[in-house]
Amino acid sequence: MSVRLEDFHSEQEIAWCPGCGNFPILKAVKEALVALDLAPHRVVICSGIGQAPKLPHYLRVNTFNGLHGREVASATAVKMAAPDLTVLVHAGEGGAYGEGGNHLLHAIRRNIDITLVVHDNKTYALTKGQASPTTDFGTSTRIQPHGVASSPLNPLTLAISQNCSFVAQASSVMPDQLAELLQTAIAHQGFSLVNVLQPCVVWDKVHTYAYYQKRCTPLGPDYDPHDAQQAFLLASKPSDKIPVGIIYRADRAVFNAAETSGLDQPLREQAVDPSVVSGYFHRFR
Amino acid sequence: MFPNQRNLCVRFAGAAGQGLQTAADLLGKAALRSGLYAYSYTDAGSRIRGGLNFSQIRVSTAALMGVVDKCDLLIALSKEAGEKFEDDLAENGAIIGLEQTDHPRSVPFGLEQLARETGSPKVAVTVGLASVCALLGIEQDLIDDLVSTRFSATPKLTETNKKAVSAGYQAVREWAHQQRYQLPLALESAVDRLWLTGHEAISLGAVAGGVKFVAAYPMSPATSNLTDLAAWAQDFGIVVEQAEDEVAAINMVAGASYAGARAMTTTSGGGFCLMTEGISLLGMIEAPAVVVLGQRPGPSTGLPTRTAQGDLHLVLHAGHGFFPRVVLAPRDVADGFEITAQAFDIAERFQVPVFVLTDQLLQDSQAVVASFNVANLPHQRHLLSRDQLNAMEHYQRFAQTDSGVSPLAAPGSSEQVVVVDSDEHDEDGHLIESAQIAKRMAEKRLRKAQHLQQAKLLPEPNIEGDLEGRTLIVSWGSTYQTIAEARAILRQKGQEFAHLHLRQLWPLPEELLRRTFDQSASLVVVEANLNGELATLLRQACLVQADHVLTRVDGRPMNVQELVDRLAGVVLS
Repeated sequence: MSVRLEDFHSEQEIAWCPGCGNFPILKAVKEALVALDLAPHRVVICSGIGQAPKLPHYLRVNTFNGLHGREVASATAVKMAAPDLTVLVHAGEGGAYGEGGNHLLHAIRRNIDITLVVHDNKTYALTKGQASPTTDFGTSTRIQPHGVASSPLNPLTLAISQNCSFVAQASSVMPDQLAELLQTAIAHQGFSLVNVLQPCVVWDKVHTYAYYQKRCTPLGPDYDPHDAQQAFLLASKPSDKIPVGIIYRADRAVFNAAETSGLDQPLREQAVDPSVVSGYFHRFR
Repeated sequence: MFPNQRNLCVRFAGAAGQGLQTAADLLGKAALRSGLYAYSYTDAGSRIRGGLNFSQIRVSTAALMGVVDKCDLLIALSKEAGEKFEDDLAENGAIIGLEQTDHPRSVPFGLEQLARETGSPKVAVTVGLASVCALLGIEQDLIDDLVSTRFSATPKLTETNKKAVSAGYQAVREWAHQQRYQLPLALESAVDRLWLTGHEAISLGAVAGGVKFVAAYPMSPATSNLTDLAAWAQDFGIVVEQAEDEVAAINMVAGASYAGARAMTTTSGGGFCLMTEGISLLGMIEAPAVVVLGQRPGPSTGLPTRTAQGDLHLVLHAGHGFFPRVVLAPRDVADGFEITAQAFDIAERFQVPVFVLTDQLLQDSQAVVASFNVANLPHQRHLLSRDQLNAMEHYQRFAQTDSGVSPLAAPGSSEQVVVVDSDEHDEDGHLIESAQIAKRMAEKRLRKAQHLQQAKLLPEPNIEGDLEGRTLIVSWGSTYQTIAEARAILRQKGQEFAHLHLRQLWPLPEELLRRTFDQSASLVVVEANLNGELATLLRQACLVQADHVLTRVDGRPMNVQELVDRLAGVVLS
């Protein structure tokens, strides 16, 4: 029996603001999992702290809602322990690019098969509107009343520069394309970064639905995501057009925990047998 | 030293990189194969080459695993080593140096000259090792065999080292006073014994406890556990990952544990400080985990390669908010195996973080111990099976129970989903705001802590010696063997002390402790820290004030003679 949308139904009351850009992402995740025929018990969604990381509670799915910024580290271990499960991470840009920046760098290096979906609304929304790593230079907030003095982080060029094996950008204002991209990202073998541009209806009066609808431009069929230089230029060039789609892909070896352990079954299936150590005693005689 | 036991203490001293530890290791192995006991520890600075380090090894006819301050043979592989440690020679002690000197204790040969005759001055340490073995009466064939095995990858090195062994034996044969150091050997020992380090015992214990996932960031003195388990990973089926930092390591442990793996990390105090939010996460999501913390002196970077027992309160209180936890500390090398194996079972049975407190002294000590008995170790997983889960209408990760321990399931085991949250959550694992549920879940964690307090984790501690009207020594961790030897010497002098050594530091056996303290005349706590961490804990938990706290804070291990003097002083005062 194939997986249906209703299988992901959750009774949890959603704590997002009305009109939040998270709603289309939630819908798109469910659609992507259904399209890939992945049942709730075959999927683990890891997350941290913020509004975006509440997402796994709003669908019926295995959930590891851990610490702020540490969601990628925990998800990495979930995948190492349970290679048979599909592992997604939902984080805000604060968790993924701020608090958890180091983990992102090393997840790209490892190229373990997890999908990181960053809900990028360019603001710290749940803590009431402070700057995030992607807030525009000069934007004034309650903590930066004279304007943000640092330049925004560009997650796409960062990931491309480190040869991240799958880099995509989407927007919650284009939900159908988002669902399709998520499906491709989840199916991709290796670490996938999907940066989802998302309006914050409470704290950001600039990056609105209309703002993104006007600017987001899907990449054409001629665009080759395997061309690193072209991808870097596309992602770094200031433009009125915001590219959405698969920006970059690299064929890289996928991290395989079984290479060090030699185990072909998930770690949850492993029995305890203290007597195995006896086989090592001769080394100490 | 235990009276009437024959033993010889040898100090290999010189610069880092000269092979001091290798010499002690080979001597211990030779002792083991000759039916003798051995115990060694290292005193080293934080560098790879140069400096002045030593490895000191006691070879004996019975198990002697205390740290002693005097050596019978000083193998001085530099001029400075001979000068600096000359005063540490025991009565009848001899210096075996690079050159023969006119020092009254110098042997009539020089290691460097003999080494040069073999073709390489670098094998002076091997000549030294061989001369020690010759003095002990150990067969030369045995040393040849050990050297060949150690250098088997490089035939040329094997040849040079075998010539060095020969030179060492020859030099001793020509020396008149060789007899005085001989020990009776027992080549046909019926007992199966092992020669291994504290970290190897702990790492083997982890394997026996079913460890399947290790994530850690290197930090002395706990790096050795990571190295051991990485080297053994394929043989025992373990996923070992060097994390990008300690924060990643502990959050990886949480993730792997959630996914149903027996998971651990290893670190030292500074790295552990970075982990503390993750420890709180383990408490909240009730994830089983083992944290091996190798203590070294702090605060901050402290003395990276030295020893301390200063992190007891750190692990007792690490992480914000209240949640149950267990703290264990092995008392010696052999105990490292037993405690670590048990730690994994306790962690999964009660779904708590279990801390194993070791330290630099124990990690790097090496001892001949009785081969480990694996038959009585726990060998059950405490996870719900697929059938059990499928029989449930709706699995709740945090279901209410009398004990506070909820049935544990891993995602992917069945069609049930497993939900955990670092936020306060309901029985399903979903985040909540309800005051009523928040209270209920906090009470569940408290119930689990009370259940742990009542549960049998490790056996109750023994009280050694007659307690009535005597002074009671209370201690924990790596000081056990040194205290035991000091007590034996004091007993010979007519001063009896009782001894209670705690291997389980949390939960404490409070009733037993109060009863014991009531019976003793006075209480002395011995521990290697500044502030008397155990003494403070006993005051808090048992309302008992130690009469004396004997501490040591310079990063060096307490030794037997020091304790004999200080304990005698306690009784006189």
